[in-house]
Parts: sequence; C-alpha cells; structure tokens
Amino acid sequence: MNCRHIDKMLAEGSLASPFSTEVEDHMRGCARCRALVTALATSALADQPSPAMLRHIESRIVADYHPVRPIGPRLHFFSVLIAIFVCLAGFGVYLRGAFAIRVMSPLQAAVILGALAVCTGLLASSLTQQMVPGRRHWIPPRLLPLGIMFALAVVIAALFDFRQEQHFLERDWACLRNGIPLGAIAAVLFWLVLRRGAILSPAMTGAATGLLAGLVGTSALEIHCPNLHAGHILVSHLGVAVLGTTVGFFIGMAAACEINPPCP
Amino acid sequence: MECRLEENVGARQTLVDVDRLMERYQQADPEAPAALIGSLSPGLLRFFRSQVVSREQADDLLQETWMRIHRVRHTYRPGEPVMPWIYAIARRVRIDGYRKTRRITAHEVAMETLPEPPVEEQRDMLPSFDTLVGALPDAQREVLTMLKVGGLSLQEVACATSSSVGAVKQKAHRAYERLRQLLQAGAEEDRREGAQ
Repeated sequence: MNCRHIDKMLAEGSLASPFSTEVEDHMRGCARCRALVTALATSALADQPSPAMLRHIESRIVADYHPVRPIGPRLHFFSVLIAIFVCLAGFGVYLRGAFAIRVMSPLQAAVILGALAVCTGLLASSLTQQMVPGRRHWIPPRLLPLGIMFALAVVIAALFDFRQEQHFLERDWACLRNGIPLGAIAAVLFWLVLRRGAILSPAMTGAATGLLAGLVGTSALEIHCPNLHAGHILVSHLGVAVLGTTVGFFIGMAAACEINPPCP
Repeated sequence: MECRLEENVGARQTLVDVDRLMERYQQADPEAPAALIGSLSPGLLRFFRSQVVSREQADDLLQETWMRIHRVRHTYRPGEPVMPWIYAIARRVRIDGYRKTRRITAHEVAMETLPEPPVEEQRDMLPSFDTLVGALPDAQREVLTMLKVGGLSLQEVACATSSSVGAVKQKAHRAYERLRQLLQAGAEEDRREGAQ
C-alpha cells in the first residue's frame, strides 16, 4: 500500500471507513495521506440552496411542464446522417458524372474513397454523441475536425502528384462552385436532424456539422472531377470541407452568443 | 480513523432513484420536479461554489442549469446514468457563465498557496473542502468536485467532461498530490508559528 493506492481508492470512491488494515497501516506512517483523507472527509455540505430558491426553480419548470418523448437511439440518428450524406453525394455524382473513377488507379480510388468513408463515419458518430450531454467520446470532439482535415490532406498529398497546371484558378473555382451548393444543402438537412438533440457547445458542433456537410461536396467532387493534381484536390475538393468547417464554426459561435448574451 | 467518506458511497446508492426520477420527470409526473430539484441541487450548488464563484453567482448558475435541463430533458435516454448527463449540462452552464462575466482567465490561474482560511476554520486548523479545492487548477478542481461532491464514478466524470477515464484518473492523482503538498506546507507553517 502506498500513496498512489490511496489516490486510486479515493478516485474510485472505495475508501470508506472502517478502513482496511492495510490502509490504516499506511496512514499511520504517512502524515500526508492522513491529512489528505481527513481534509477530504470534511466535505460536509456547507452551502445548501435556499428552500425559496428551490421553490422558484420548481415554479419556473412547472410553468412549462408536459410529457416529452425521449430522444431516439443513437443508431437511428447515425443512419439518418449517413443516408443524407450518401443521397446528396450520389445526387451530385448523378448530375455531373463519375469521371474521376475512370482515371484514378484502383489503389487511389480505394484509398481516397475509403478515407472519406472513415472520416464521414467518425464525424457522424461524434455528432450523434454530441446530441446527448454526457456521452463518452473516443476522440475529443474539438480535435476531430482538425484531425480529419489533416488526415485527408496527408492522404491526398501521398496519393496524388503535385504538378504545374494551367488555368489553376478557373478549374479550382469550377469545382468549388459544384461542391459548395451540395455542402450547403447537406448542412441544412444535417441541422434539421441535429436540432432534435441538446447542442451544448454550438461552435464545436457547428464546425463538425460544417465539415460533414463539406465532405458531401468533397466526396462528390472526388468521384466526379478527373483532375488528379494534388494541389487542385487540396484546394478545390478539400477546400469545400474546410470552408464548411469555418462557416459552421462561426455560425455556431453566433448561435452561442445568441443563447448567452453578452458574449465576449 | 473516523471518517465521512462513506457519504459518497451513500450518494451513489441514491443515484438509482435519481435515474428513475428523471424518467418520471420526462413523463411529467407532478411529484418529479420537486424531488429531482431537491435531491440534485445541493450537489450542483457545491459544484458551482467549489469553482470559486460567489454564492449569488452559484445560485444564478444553479437556476440556469435547471432551465437548461428542463429544455433538453428529452435528450436523457431512460436506463442510462443520469449524473453524467446532468453534470455535462452544469459544466457547460458554468463555462458559459464564466464567459458571460469575463472572469474565466482569473479562475484559470492556479493558486500557489492555500487561501487564507476563515476565522472559524482556523479554530480546528482544517480547511474546508471548498477552500481546499480552491487551491487547485480549474480542470483538477472540476474533476475532484464531481468525484467527491457529485459522487460520480471515474467513468461518469469522463463522460461529463468529454475526456477519457485515464485523463480523469491523472487529473485526480495530480489534484491529490497537490493537496498533500499544500496541506503539508500549511502544517509546517502552523508548526513554525507555534514555535515562535
């Protein structure tokens, strides 16, 4: 038994009196642990909410009190988000054609589409978790959008060549013009789904939603656009996702300020 | 050694009742709001108070927390533990409250020594829990308060703070180690003053 074991027991809430012999022995010889355990044991309630305030809270709640239907299972929302994603990306490809698939090697097609599918799954999963407060996140939601954009940029840079090309800006703009409307429609549909939940951090959720919407445009462009230059793909295909993340983040920030005025 | 740490064990046993109360609250049971507010508010108030806010601010944050809980009560899934759900909302209300009053940076500064204890605490030479955790950095204080006051498990704290169990354990360990140092420093200072 050492101080670390005491820490572990304190954190797990398993250090209850009467203490075991081992704990007693350790604390007899360790003044630091003895002082800590004694100090933490004085956590008796000092401040209690006043009955008047509790009644006030209750009266405000009862003023708008009606039965609510609990939110649906996580898988349901996940499926809806994925269905919207697939339908819109498919619609984009249907309108413009799948020319990129014909010119990409099987490896390039498999890796880039696989990476997009994984990123979409991770984002949709994170968003469905964010709808319910207190859910466990395997990847911190604030890091996920940045991680996904970085990972996709690395995959694109590794798979495709950087070459000089003519009419760089015109081609980029043409792809952005095709991808942005898809992303915008997707963002609206995703928001209609996500508003069923409790969005505690609008900026963070906004960024993730914007990225997922942007990835609809990116995915459609990856299947449609036969320009395989890495620079073009990074700027005009992944650019749709980056733009979506940025816009989503700022809309979320604005929503947070709306909920909690005045905002710093 | 007589100790009241079993309070937390007792608190955990009542959590099952809170889960059921929450389900009744969703069904608009007329008894549920009073019972739920009465059982959870003391812990929530201590959570806000331990984040070194004034009593008035803590009362405001408590009210705001209940309003948000009420607005999003449909997002609680019956059968799941209610405490991470409640504390995730309370945590967000606290963050928003800090931003609102533009005082967040002042609270992020870790204090180097224990704050001056009030006169009644000097009598038995033992700082209160709030005074004690007031000396910790924000993240450690939050974890320790959820564990000790809210009676949440490590997994529940991880859920409420959107972090991993490992990160929570590490914060708790660092908090305990820091408290040991502060208590030891305080005891040595008392001894020196006694000798003089």
